[in-house]
Amino acid sequence: MANSNTMFTTADFIPVTRAAIIQEILDSPLKINLMELGFLPGKTITLHHSAPLGGPMAFKLDESILALRKTEASLIEVQLL
Amino acid sequence: MPELTTPSLVKSPKIAIIGNPNVGKSTIFNQLTGLSQKIGNYPGVTVDKKTGWMHYHGSSYEIIDLPGTYSLYPNSEDEIIAHRVLNQLNELERPEFVLMVIDSCQLSRGLFLATQLIDLGLNLALVLNMADIATRKNIAIKSFEIFKALGVPILSTDARGEKGLDQIRELIHHQNFSKKSSFITIEEVVDANLLAEVQKKFKLSNSYQAYQMLRFGEKDKTYSQEDRAWIKSKLAETNFDLEKSQLEETKIRYRKITAIVEKAVVKTPDIKQESGIDKILLHPVFGYVIFGAILLLIFQAIFAWASVPMDLIDGFFASFSGWVSNALPEGVLTSLITEGIIPGIGGVVIFIPQIAMLFGFLAILEDTGYMSRVVFLMDRWMRPFGLHGKSIVPLVSGVACAIPGVMAARNIGNWKEKIITIMVTPLMSCSARLPVYIILIGLVVPDEFILGIFNLQAVALLGLYLLGVVGVFMTAFVMKHILKSEEKSFLMVELPTYRAPRWLDVLLTMYNKSKTFVFEAGKVILAISIILWVLASYGPPERMDAIRAEAQVKVEAATSEEQIAEIENETSSHLLENSFIGIMGRAIEPAIKPLGYDWKIGIALITSFAAREVFVSTIATIYSIGADTEDELTIREKLNQQINPETGEKVYNTATAFSLMVFYAFAMQCMSTLAVVYRETKGWKWPLIQTVYMTALAYFSALLVYQILS
Repeated sequence: MANSNTMFTTADFIPVTRAAIIQEILDSPLKINLMELGFLPGKTITLHHSAPLGGPMAFKLDESILALRKTEASLIEVQLL
Repeated sequence: MPELTTPSLVKSPKIAIIGNPNVGKSTIFNQLTGLSQKIGNYPGVTVDKKTGWMHYHGSSYEIIDLPGTYSLYPNSEDEIIAHRVLNQLNELERPEFVLMVIDSCQLSRGLFLATQLIDLGLNLALVLNMADIATRKNIAIKSFEIFKALGVPILSTDARGEKGLDQIRELIHHQNFSKKSSFITIEEVVDANLLAEVQKKFKLSNSYQAYQMLRFGEKDKTYSQEDRAWIKSKLAETNFDLEKSQLEETKIRYRKITAIVEKAVVKTPDIKQESGIDKILLHPVFGYVIFGAILLLIFQAIFAWASVPMDLIDGFFASFSGWVSNALPEGVLTSLITEGIIPGIGGVVIFIPQIAMLFGFLAILEDTGYMSRVVFLMDRWMRPFGLHGKSIVPLVSGVACAIPGVMAARNIGNWKEKIITIMVTPLMSCSARLPVYIILIGLVVPDEFILGIFNLQAVALLGLYLLGVVGVFMTAFVMKHILKSEEKSFLMVELPTYRAPRWLDVLLTMYNKSKTFVFEAGKVILAISIILWVLASYGPPERMDAIRAEAQVKVEAATSEEQIAEIENETSSHLLENSFIGIMGRAIEPAIKPLGYDWKIGIALITSFAAREVFVSTIATIYSIGADTEDELTIREKLNQQINPETGEKVYNTATAFSLMVFYAFAMQCMSTLAVVYRETKGWKWPLIQTVYMTALAYFSALLVYQILS
């Protein structure tokens, strides 16, 4: 990958322990659920853990760890740090 | 008629406790109310209504524990309840005060809900819980800044809910809650005229209540048809985008909250990361190994510890019914009490040790924060079968007993995944199947070792457990394709910080779950026990009388005690054969013959519906082994001697025994489970479907096994 410092992607592509800044939550019926939990543009998230074989991903957001499935994580647009 | 005047009771104030999930809300509720809790139902949903009383300085306060929620936008059943209680139109039902519990480490998420409560115009006080954990994480909170911004009283407590608890009691006692005008201006998002109109129509006290009504009133079936239609027409008239308004509201609210949090929270960088434990517990290999080991430990404990109280309960009810039958005059009523009602109640009570212990362990796993990790680990493996990560809890419980398993399925938010979980959980091999398996395996599987290490009997037993697991996943997979649901499945769970379990909460969970089971499912179980008793003790009178008369003659002619005992055993066997159940057993014989069963086994299949382990005692009665069924060897020997009069071969040959075991592995033969499924699904539809499909599965699998082996 060329310049990973300014790379834009979705949260399901964040490598483990890497941090990223949320840019936008994509439109979907789950958008409001994600926002309620605190996934808001401007926040920093870190991938804490990832379950094997495409299982859920656990993100660190503020002081909490939140687990999402890959499909939900793909709704979060981020910029890798 | 003179008018009756009742002295008006002083109504005790009602206080609702609300908060995000995992903030220690229930701990505070438990500390305030102790054993005075009452569990009821909200109409139409399976969410438990938890209320309790707090007595303080001579006054009483009613406390309501609302389910954890992130917002007042109802997504799950839990959130619908929180939404409904707080938006209650009926003033009498609405809580006067709301105590909102916030996790000090998750301030902004907590304030999101708190500010919604402010906007609803509720009398509010905030509790910043887990202050000690925040300190440990180097987070300092200036409560005064929050107070300045919100204007509602704020207290702080520690994670165990001990420190600061007296302050909470004082606050409630002095009704030190306060109502603020509003936090955000909802008119920024929604047309003011529309809100004013809704507010006027439903006599609401502010525009945010009007917004909530507009947003959710149409879907809430507790409102009248006309009101819902009115809201619907208004929405169509103004061409109003509800979802967009909600997103807009969320953004505005979080923007204002972020400004407060920036002022109120001072965070020094955290030096030690707490992810060390997760490195092991969520490890792609060790994570699963550890989970397996914990399960093994729990089952070991349940089988070892629960059997002691279970034997005591069993013995107590047996001797109690013996005592009653001696104390009361002989007659139908006495025999109904001693053979129908007392064993029926005993049959309910006997499950308490298992249910209580299983829920105790589940509460510990939940409270320490481990359970969410299990959901995280298992979700990937459950999803292809139409199940959810959260389905693992019911399935695992099912190995001990399906009843707590089905009860635990209510945590699954998605309707389809919840129904599938409830439908397949009873296929897990529960402990009631064990006595049946043990007798039959002992009969046909030699006690030998293969390859020097594996005991054949143990291998057979393990095979039966695996058969249950295979049944679960195959059935779930089929149901996934049959059931239709618009609802999108998703997983959003918090993995909370690890901590030691709070024992009071664990004990109260055990107590409350057992109580719910006894009082809710107990009624159905008792009713079915009585019906089964009637069917087993009555038959066509002339036949029954003839058997009794014949026995009388024989007893008079008998010379020794042993002879009398033998005659009595024979008589009870004859009586059972000719009872209504016996007649039913004969009636189903043509249907079960291809499975290798005779009508005697047919009787046992019918009585097993009370509970699977009844198979053993029924078999004992049919083959007149006598009351002492403790001795498995005698039963085994007797069964081994049974010869089929037509073929001259053993009745319990390998093919029949395996066919029976497979039948017991799959058949729905537990009225207690059915009663619980009825309670959890709010109707007879699903328990009926479950009985039909499981019986069909059992029948055809047993047929296949018998035809292959014989």
